Amino acid sequence: MLAAPALRLTGLTKTYDAVGGRFQALDGVDLTIADGDFFGLLGPNGAGKTTLISAVCNLIRLTGGEISVFGMAHDTMAARRAVGLAEQDVNLDRFLDVEETLVYHGGYFGMTRRAARARAREMMDVFDLRAKAGVRAPALSGGMRRRLLLARALMHEPRLVILDEPTAGVDFELRIELWRYIRRLHAHGTTILLTTHYLEEAEELCREIALLRGGRVIARDTAANLRQTYAADSLAGVYVKAMAA
Amino acid sequence: MLWLAEREVLRVLKLWTQTIAAPIVSSFLFIVVFGLALSGRISPVRGVDYDLFIVPGLMIMAMAQAAYANNSTSLFQARNDRYLNDILSAPLRSWEVLVGLTLGGVVRAVLIGAGVFALAVPAVGIGVEQPLVLLAAVGFALALFAALGVVVGIYAQTFDHAGFVNTLVILPLTFLGGVFYSVDVLPDPWRDVSHANPIFYLVQAVRYGFLGQSDVSPVLALTITGLLAVAVVAWSAWLFSTGRRLKA
Repeated sequence: MLAAPALRLTGLTKTYDAVGGRFQALDGVDLTIADGDFFGLLGPNGAGKTTLISAVCNLIRLTGGEISVFGMAHDTMAARRAVGLAEQDVNLDRFLDVEETLVYHGGYFGMTRRAARARAREMMDVFDLRAKAGVRAPALSGGMRRRLLLARALMHEPRLVILDEPTAGVDFELRIELWRYIRRLHAHGTTILLTTHYLEEAEELCREIALLRGGRVIARDTAANLRQTYAADSLAGVYVKAMAA
Repeated sequence: MLWLAEREVLRVLKLWTQTIAAPIVSSFLFIVVFGLALSGRISPVRGVDYDLFIVPGLMIMAMAQAAYANNSTSLFQARNDRYLNDILSAPLRSWEVLVGLTLGGVVRAVLIGAGVFALAVPAVGIGVEQPLVLLAAVGFALALFAALGVVVGIYAQTFDHAGFVNTLVILPLTFLGGVFYSVDVLPDPWRDVSHANPIFYLVQAVRYGFLGQSDVSPVLALTITGLLAVAVVAWSAWLFSTGRRLKA
């Protein structure tokens, strides 16, 4: 029997009520991501990437369609536990220090106190946050906050990790470090869904890529096949042609 | 749910000077200034010395405001800073999130109430005449104002919105709800108008619990306060179960 896909979106639709009318952010998106895949989602601002991620993580109310995570409806407790999200915006609890941020997140996701504390220490070591354990989020540098966001997303050992522009605004050294960690995570069997505006990042990391425009998936394949299909010599060339079509 | 409640209580305790100490000091100053300093010049109300008479209203006013302010600001901040997403995406049922967020305000209010009571006992010698009535009244009050804080925290678009309800709705209604006087001494139509103030019934229920005396029947006072609490708690539960205003 085939393993359930990590993520399956069927006819996903989301319409926002906006000033001056309604805005269709997702327009019948069908997408399946296999268990263990490293999947990139590319598209311009407003293409629907963050809306898609928010839908998977139960952060918006769907207009239509279905989402399953490892074969479970996305709003079930088990499905929620299987997903880890690092959002594009730094959304840390200003009242908690680094260690508390991780431990409480673990608690929200069903970990025991002992397990959450042990895992928090592990995550702080991995992301070089140990020296900042007692520092509250607003007092951290931008790079440290980014590390903490990623550490928090991985705290409960999710099988599907969603990274919404995880390297936006970080320096080159940290970006390389984060890539290394994300690669290691994928090598251990975690499914990764990555959105990014850095096309070389997607090309470097992702096994498969989907291009999103106007709330629709307009292309999906490996970077090599996309280059061939669009007769382009780089993913940037693919992107420019696909978005102009 | 317990983790979320613990986080809310941790926030209260980290900010204890602002969240606990300030309201206790403020209420105690009211007791000292209006009760102890001026009570010799003010006649007893319904046979109760004025310094004793004002304590129940002051205590529940401080507790209600704390429960409301805590939850409205905490939830507004969670939405504004977007770390609420970490909670909404977690494997928590909507009622668990609601209860977890609500408990912060309840714990803060209980700590304030205990503090004011601890200071009021030696200062004016207040006791509890009807403990069950007091327990029910305080329970309804905390449910009502903690849930109201959650509702306003969900609807508020700015910090000012949360402050507006406290300053321009709760505070005036509390002051006009008979905290400092018996509404029986008011001329018509103000006496009837006071009876239309929902917080009047809360003050009366709490006063009956402490002093065994109130301007209206304690059954009526508890019934109205309880119904209000049920309505506002149901409103907050509906918002969480549907995700309205919380999720786009």
